[in-house]
Amino acid sequence: MSKPRIGIFDFACCEGCQLQIVNLEEDLLGLLGLVEPVVWREAMAETSDAFDIAIVEGSVVREEDAARLREIREQARVLIALGACATLGGVNKIRNPMDHGEVTRAVYGTHADDPHLAAGPARSVAEVVKVDYRVEGCPIDGSELVRLVQDLLTGRTPRVPHHPVCVECKLRENVCRYELGEVCLGPLTRAGCGARCPSNGFWCFGCRGLVDDANIEAARTVMAQYGKSEADLEDLLRLFNQESEVGHGRHA
Amino acid sequence: MIKHISEPELRAWVDSLLEGPPVYAPQARQGRFAFDRLRRSADLRLDYDVTILPPKKYFLPQQETLVRFTREGGFESAVEAEPFVLFGIHPYDLVAINQLDAIFARAPGDAHYLTRRHAATLVVLDVETVSEHHFAGGLGQATVDGNRDFDAMLTRLPDGSYVAEARTEKGRTLMDGLADAPDAGPESLAAREEVWIRNRKALRKHRLTMAPERIPELLADAHDHPIWEEKGALCYSCGACTLVCPTCYCFDVRDEWNPGLADGERVRTWDGCMFTQFAAVAGGHNFRKSRAARYRHRYFRKGKYVWDMIGEIACVGCGRCIGACTANIANPVEVYNRLQEDTP
Repeated sequence: MSKPRIGIFDFACCEGCQLQIVNLEEDLLGLLGLVEPVVWREAMAETSDAFDIAIVEGSVVREEDAARLREIREQARVLIALGACATLGGVNKIRNPMDHGEVTRAVYGTHADDPHLAAGPARSVAEVVKVDYRVEGCPIDGSELVRLVQDLLTGRTPRVPHHPVCVECKLRENVCRYELGEVCLGPLTRAGCGARCPSNGFWCFGCRGLVDDANIEAARTVMAQYGKSEADLEDLLRLFNQESEVGHGRHA
Repeated sequence: MIKHISEPELRAWVDSLLEGPPVYAPQARQGRFAFDRLRRSADLRLDYDVTILPPKKYFLPQQETLVRFTREGGFESAVEAEPFVLFGIHPYDLVAINQLDAIFARAPGDAHYLTRRHAATLVVLDVETVSEHHFAGGLGQATVDGNRDFDAMLTRLPDGSYVAEARTEKGRTLMDGLADAPDAGPESLAAREEVWIRNRKALRKHRLTMAPERIPELLADAHDHPIWEEKGALCYSCGACTLVCPTCYCFDVRDEWNPGLADGERVRTWDGCMFTQFAAVAGGHNFRKSRAARYRHRYFRKGKYVWDMIGEIACVGCGRCIGACTANIANPVEVYNRLQEDTP
């Protein structure tokens, strides 16, 4: 089989998810035996317009970016949204409900009116073009991308965890963050990270988006039993899940 | 062989065991307890109330390799286990292990489970500290009664000394290091009886209002009871109740390739009937689509289906599900008592 050509593209983000691909190290070499990267600004000098699979990182904040993304979509046979900014809009969406002028002035000061900073609301990749597959997380777990590419190459249906982070947390025999007096989004968030945050001293921030059939109503009801309020829950959801999107449940 | 030993003698014996095959025993973890590889006897917490996960993880690991394969079609079964000691199992957890023994031994037998099980030496420990959710007493599982399969048993007496009893050849070998200790006399054996009598009463933090044998009958008539909807409405489908359950053993099997697709492994992982996709089949049909249907299934599984299969209630009263459920809907005693109340 001829190796599929891969293009890796970045939009508004910290590019940390691409870095997770570089960080695959030995596993990256295995992956490179299967695919041929032709566009990858973070790791390659050369570039090309001919690719089969587009891996897109970041959220879309300007119209010119949306236009570039549509071109990538035209070209790609398969488009993969990589990481929370691409799949959910990510932390970039925190500013969406705020006054845009105020936000821009707070961040860029006297440069606020520079034309290249003329950004609109942050959008996920799926809000602009059709997304075929998603690799969730902030940042992604590189092994999940490897598995997705393997599944595409071997003709298997890619497997997405349909259960919440609690499952992986229990498998690791962690003490529940609620028992430690914290609000944790583990019960509402799609698994796949191996419960990384709860295993390393933090609650779950929800960076992988809501799980299928997330029981937000239960979460609201349960807060009081832990001496917490619905506002505590909403605060935490604001980070990655303040706006629902295509294919995801709405929490408010 | 029944010995009466002091706490320091017990610790010295445990230290001597650490020179042999791995010993897994209860230890502290963030204010809770977990079975883990024991490195020194000082870390051993025989006063633990309940561990986060049950000791089933040593026979049915969270993830295990069943087969290794290559792209060319080669494969080899991965049935491997080194001898180990599982030290400090509470009686209710032993009952659960023995239930799994019966289930995994059913023809054709699960070689992966059984190989690990045969490699193990089981040391039971009578409960010293009752947890806030223990209800094993109401199920008759607070102490080791009847014909159970284990190798040795420890009981802490009120004066702080221990009675150690070997039940099998493996148990006697394990207790070689106690050969010089005095045999337990009638007084210490009577004190041990007292501990058992106390535990049968004390491990009733939630009170079952019926004899356990009644549960299968109650369930048979409760398919349409409103409790499934009421409780299920708050279910996160996170499966915490099944994952921490000592008698739950459902698993998923999948193939994982190594990055270059040259070879891979067939792995088995824990699964659970509370997950939304557990009963999903090819073609997109899901036999238990609603939270209520999944919630109900779990209680039928615990209280009826396993009973129909091996004649035992698949609930031993450890209370882990009650504590693990973030939504606080997983108390089996509450469910079965409610069915009892509503059944004429």
